[in-house]
Amino acid sequence: MKSATSLRTLLAVVPATVLIAGCASPQATYVDSSGPRTITTVGNINIQDYANAADTMVNSLIEGVINSGKLESVGGQPAMLAISRIANNTSQHVDTDLLVKKIRVALNRTGKVQTTTTIGLGGQAEDPLAQGIKQQTEFLQDKKNTRLPDYSLSGKIIEQRERAGDVRQSSFIFQLSLTSKDGIAVWEDEKTITKQGKRSTVGF
Amino acid sequence: MKLSSCPPSCLLVGIATACLFTACTTVNTVERAAPVGQRQMVNDKRIITDAGLNRAVRIVGVNEVPGEFLKIQVELLNSTSSLKSFNYRFEWFDANGVLVHTPTSTYISRQIEGKESIFISAVSPVASAKDFRLKLIESTR
Repeated sequence: MKSATSLRTLLAVVPATVLIAGCASPQATYVDSSGPRTITTVGNINIQDYANAADTMVNSLIEGVINSGKLESVGGQPAMLAISRIANNTSQHVDTDLLVKKIRVALNRTGKVQTTTTIGLGGQAEDPLAQGIKQQTEFLQDKKNTRLPDYSLSGKIIEQRERAGDVRQSSFIFQLSLTSKDGIAVWEDEKTITKQGKRSTVGF
Repeated sequence: MKLSSCPPSCLLVGIATACLFTACTTVNTVERAAPVGQRQMVNDKRIITDAGLNRAVRIVGVNEVPGEFLKIQVELLNSTSSLKSFNYRFEWFDANGVLVHTPTSTYISRQIEGKESIFISAVSPVASAKDFRLKLIESTR
C-alpha cells in the first residue's frame, strides 16, 4: 500500500518537474539601461558608453557655453542648432544618434537651445515632411522667413585598439565641436572611454 | 597562531606579502600649501549602507559653484591602499523635490588608486534643478 502511494507521488512529481525544468527557456531579465548592471564588452561601444560620453558633453556645453553666457541667439529666442556630420571612424557600424540624440534632448530641455529638423547636411532634412510644410507655408505666404541656425554641431568617433599579451584594450574617443554661424568653433570637447579585458572576453 | 603572539616583524612581512598579492599602489601628491581658490562647501547628509565602499571611496566634501545651472563637485578619497572600481550617478531635483529626468543620466564607472583623492562633478541639466543626490555603488562587473 505504502509503495503504491509512493509510486503515485513519484508519477505526479516527475512530470511536474519535467514540465517546469524542461519548458524553462533561458532566463531573460530586464535591467536598468542607465544602471550599473548592463553588459560591458571591450570591443564595442556599449549603451552606457554613449550615455557617459553624452553626459560629459552636455555638462561641458552647459558649463562652458550656457552658464558662462556665451550662447548667442536672435531676439532672445533659444539658439537654433543644426546637426552637421558626426563621422564614425570606428570599425563598427554605429548609429551616431545614440550619442547625438541624447545631447539634443538634454540641450532642448535646458530651454536655451532648439534643434532644427528641416536644415540638414547637403540639403537633406531630418524630417522631410516638416521641410515640405515649411516650404509650402513660405510659398503660400509669399515670403521667405527662413531663420538660419545659430550653431552647428559636428564631431567624430575614433577607435584605438591596443594589445599586450592576453590583455586587449579599446579606447573610443568622442570629439565634438560647436561652430557659430561666423565659422568659429566656440566650444569643443573630447571624451575618451577606455576598456580592458583578457583575450577570452574580447571579441576581436 | 594568534595575532597577539605574532611579533611586529611577522606582521610587517604579512602586510608586505598581502600588498604584493593585492598590488598595493598608492598616490603621492604635492600642492600649494595655501590654495588661492576657496571652495563653497555644501552641508551634506550621508547615508552609508556599504561600509567597505565607504572606506575605499570616502566622501571628503561637497562644494558648489552657483550659477543659472548649479555645478556640484565632490571630493572622494580612497583610504585603502589598493585600487578600487566604483560607479556613481548624480540625480537632480527641482524646487518641489521632484526628480528631474535627463536622457544622459547614467552610472559612470571610475577607478581610484590607493590613498588617491579624486573629484567628480556634474552640472544640473535644467536651471530649475536646485538639489542633487550622488549615488555611489561598487562595480558589479
